[in-house]
Amino acid sequence: MSTTPVIEVERLNLKYGDFHAVRDLSFEVRPGELYALLGTNGAGKTSTLETVEGHRVPTSGTVRVFGQSPRDRKAVRPRMGIMLQDSGFSPDLTVRESVGLIGGLTRRDDDVDRVVDLVGLNHRAGTLVGQLSGGEKRRLDFATAVYGTPELIFLDEPTTGLDIQSRDDLWDAVDRLRENGSTVVLTTHYLEEAQQRADRIGLMHKGVFHREGTVAELTRTLPAVITFTPSATAPALPLPVAAAADGSVRVETFHLQKDLHLLLAWAQDHAVELRDLSAGPTRLDDVFRAIES
Amino acid sequence: MLAIARSELIQIFRNRMVLVTSFVIPVAVSAFFVYRHEVFAQLASFGYIAAIIMFTVGAFGLYTSIVTTLASRRQNLFLKRLRSTAESDAGILAGLVTPATVVALVQLTGILIVFGLVAGRPDNVPLLVLAVLATVAMMVGLALATAGVTNSPEHAQVTTLPVSLGVIAVSSWVGITGTAELELVKRLLPGGAATELMLNAWNGGVALSDSLVLLGPTFAWVVVAVSFANRMFRWEPRR
Repeated sequence: MSTTPVIEVERLNLKYGDFHAVRDLSFEVRPGELYALLGTNGAGKTSTLETVEGHRVPTSGTVRVFGQSPRDRKAVRPRMGIMLQDSGFSPDLTVRESVGLIGGLTRRDDDVDRVVDLVGLNHRAGTLVGQLSGGEKRRLDFATAVYGTPELIFLDEPTTGLDIQSRDDLWDAVDRLRENGSTVVLTTHYLEEAQQRADRIGLMHKGVFHREGTVAELTRTLPAVITFTPSATAPALPLPVAAAADGSVRVETFHLQKDLHLLLAWAQDHAVELRDLSAGPTRLDDVFRAIES
Repeated sequence: MLAIARSELIQIFRNRMVLVTSFVIPVAVSAFFVYRHEVFAQLASFGYIAAIIMFTVGAFGLYTSIVTTLASRRQNLFLKRLRSTAESDAGILAGLVTPATVVALVQLTGILIVFGLVAGRPDNVPLLVLAVLATVAMMVGLALATAGVTNSPEHAQVTTLPVSLGVIAVSSWVGITGTAELELVKRLLPGGAATELMLNAWNGGVALSDSLVLLGPTFAWVVVAVSFANRMFRWEPRR
């Protein structure tokens, strides 16, 4: 597989009037990877994504997709599928007509019924889009994005409004596309989805890239946390305390297993009960909260 | 482009409101003019009736329909969706306006044929065809421009009034009073030159070269409208 980046973004800036939505953003997406662009509300994720898709013109900086400008629709769009954040389908067309129209306009070949079936809408194929539920519209959106198995797929909040079964089905379909070599760019508010699926993650806050890397690389930057409430008569703790309140103690560590073992041994030796003991690795949520604060 | 046009045609015929306001009403109004042609002819001429029919269909069947369609497709993000495909902007717009344009041309052809059978054959049919095509081009251009300042289908009910009523008023003014006075003003107003062209085509009595000059102001309006649309047209709702 080629190692030439599928997407290259260099010093991207986006302004809406006086509002600077994205500042000096640089990143690249490699072939076959699932890259998640995450951020707080108003961080500039969708603006960035829409610029990479070719929907917006950068105020400054360069964006290249497959080595070309994403605004060259004829050259780039047949190779990419786009799942927009908002529906954007005509309520007076049926599911099959919508997939046929939008899929056909991508200039990729596929069987409309196969794609409708892939997203589980075969029983609604003849239904007008205006009569679909929110979740069904998201699935229709996904269908047009994956029509013809594009090399690059943009998924903007793909699972919002979907029930658990539909989410699993969607991710199964994404997995199959990735097995076929498709590259995926994802934005989502469900951090656990990004944590489970993304090869690399870019974290945005207020239009700026704060961190980028694999989940392990991102979570490694923050300590893991152990919390417990020792009995009042307990001797001095074997680990430095990061915070204490109402008898509860919070210990932060970059060596979770070693320090937890030390703590449990100490409790055993001194017959100290550690009530409400909780220990876990750093999660993406923690990295997110650290950025926000 | 053809796929978009096809889907647009399907949507037009599935939406009863659009079907009635854009297609049934103009035909009904035109049928009234044809039915009462002797009364209206006393006011001016058969050419005037033909011009009024042309602008009734052009304003309500074509212009209003296109503005409403584009505003609606923008509002529900269908335009953005189409732009997420490989289709060019020109192809998308052409696909969206073609069905309404073709339907308007079919309507006009049918109504004017009936009018010709009832009131008598027009003097110069090729010139009449030219007048209709030029007017349709002008109304499509004005529709694209108006769509740029129209936020929603509901807003279109307001934004389309000046041009719709304006071209019909100009057409009546030119049709009834002629261009002996205020010739330049009447010809430069939107629809003025097109009306005079229609009068010449139907009533006759004017040299062809004098009539062809009237295409100038009509196409000038197309250029003005398209350049305005080029600057003002938005593909997504205002943020």
